[in-house]
This record gives sequence, structure tokens and C-alpha cells, in this order.
Amino acid sequence: MKFKIKRFNEKNGSYWQTFEVPVRTAMTVLDGLFYIRENLDNSLAFRASCRMGICGSCAVKINGKPRLACETQLSKFKEVKIEPLDNFAVIKDLVTEFEGFFAKHKKVKPYLINPKISYENPVEQIQTPKQLKAYYDFTLCIKCGACYSVCPAGATLESYLGPAALASAYRFNADSRDHGKEERLKIVSQPNGVWRCHSAMECSEVCPKQIEPAKAIQLLRRATLR
Amino acid sequence: MRGFEPLAWVLQAITGIAMVFLITVHFFATHSAHDLLSYESAVERLKSFDYKLFYALLLIVVSFHAFNGLRAVILDTEGGMKRKRLVNVSIAMLAILAIAYGLFLLMRF
Repeated sequence: MKFKIKRFNEKNGSYWQTFEVPVRTAMTVLDGLFYIRENLDNSLAFRASCRMGICGSCAVKINGKPRLACETQLSKFKEVKIEPLDNFAVIKDLVTEFEGFFAKHKKVKPYLINPKISYENPVEQIQTPKQLKAYYDFTLCIKCGACYSVCPAGATLESYLGPAALASAYRFNADSRDHGKEERLKIVSQPNGVWRCHSAMECSEVCPKQIEPAKAIQLLRRATLR
Repeated sequence: MRGFEPLAWVLQAITGIAMVFLITVHFFATHSAHDLLSYESAVERLKSFDYKLFYALLLIVVSFHAFNGLRAVILDTEGGMKRKRLVNVSIAMLAILAIAYGLFLLMRF
């Protein structure tokens, strides 16, 4: 199968390179990338870690859509065109700069804020199944950046917090054990927060974990208006 | 409500919905009969206090929606976000100017 890869390095800039990869049953795009690096061109740069859709490292644009390379079966395609994620600066080949993405995530305080939690005298934080259900879906985010790469607001405004960070803010705000709701609403309600979303819904469309960041943004908006 | 952004968003939604009704009324007022768009008909219509009130409301609603939309488009860019105070003040002044000019013209009838 033909692997057409958009490569980049500082010396040569951006260019396309095609590789011929022998395909076996149940082979994924990530397997193909490893084959290229091990047998055809060891200078090909890409990120991967868990190989099972949990770490979010291997998100790339495959045939025009952001997907996890480790979860994308080659049997779906006749040939594959692989590019780095949009809306991220490319460091080399398929490796993109994620520092800004994680800095935005950190900004929304993605942790439980609860003065009652003491690490010296730990007390069980009880939660009913209904309370868990209110935010559980949003805990599944693997920070792969697929949502941010298709966000039109993220494309024009680098400082926009983005769907992943906002979904994370909602995840903690909806947690019954958390007491940091007001702090987070103040952060997400700033001009570069939820108000920059224009409801294109592409983030929900491409999320490999189907967590619907667009829905989280609408729910945060509703909470901010109260 | 936290600051101006949420208020601007709510008002954008309210004016958007209001425009659907107001523009429908405007459409019927100007197109329900053949000669309603003639100069004489328009002047006659605008002399009535009810129509004046209606068009003043339409003017305010449309102007707010348009200028606030423009503000949102500019704030969607890095340059606009860096100068958001300047953008907010300039757009507010332009909107006030447009509404004042429109109201002035309405009062002339």
C-alpha cells in the first residue's frame, strides 16, 4: 500500500514523500509508520507510545481527518495520506508542538479543588453513580489534540483555550466533589474562553473517544450565564 | 453573569431571534401590496408613530447584532484579541453613531 507522508524539517521545509508498505491483515497506520522507520527511512519522525488508543500521542491527519494512527486499520483505505495535525506548529515530519496545548489545559485548573481533601488525614470522597455519570464521559479525554486541530476558532486565534481545555474545565465543574467551580467559570468566561466558540461542532465530530467537547462548551456557557 | 462577554453573547442571541420577527413584519409592510415600496408610500408609512417606533426598534436590534458580530470576528484574530479594549470601544462608538444617525433620519419624517 502507498503511504504518502507530508514531511518537514528545517533544512528542506515541507514536502511529500511516498513509501510502499507491505500490508498484513489487521495492520494499523501506526504499524505502517513503524515499518517505514525500521525498514525504509529511519529519519521519519512521529509520536507513539501505548499503541492502544489511551495515550493520545499518535494523533495525525489520515486521509484528511484527524485520527489515532494506532486505532486506524489500513483495511479501510486503498492508500493513505498522512499529515501532521493542523493548528499546531510542526517540529519535524508528523511531530507537532504540544506545549501551548498543555499550557491551556493547565490554565483551567484541571484538578479537584476541595479544601476538605487532606493528604495527611484522607477521608473517602463519596459519590453516587448519578453524580459520576454527570461528568464521566469527559474524563475519557486523552489529550490527543484532534479536537483542537479542526477547531476554526483555534485556527485564527492561538490564545483561544480550545475544546480540550474547556471540556476538561467542564469535567471538574460537573464533579460533585469539586469546589472550584467559580474559579474555573471566571477563567473560561474570559474573552479567549467559551465565547470564541462558533459551534462548528467539528471537535465532537473528530474526537476519537466521542466525548463531545462542543457540548461541554455549551454547558459551560449556560453555567457562566447563571 | 461574569463580565461583558456573556452579556454580549446573550444579547446577540436575543437580537438574532428578534430580527426574525421584526424583519418578517418589515417584509410584509413593504411587500404585501404592489405599490408599498414607492417613495410616497414609504414617506406615508414613516410618518406614522407606530411605524417610527417599529423601525427605531429594528434599527437598534440590527445595528447591535451587526456591530457585535463584527466585534466577535475581529476578536477571533490574534491582532484583535491583543487590542480588545480598543476594538470594544471603537465598535461601540461606531454602533452608537450608526444608531444615532438612523434615529435622526427617522425623526425627519
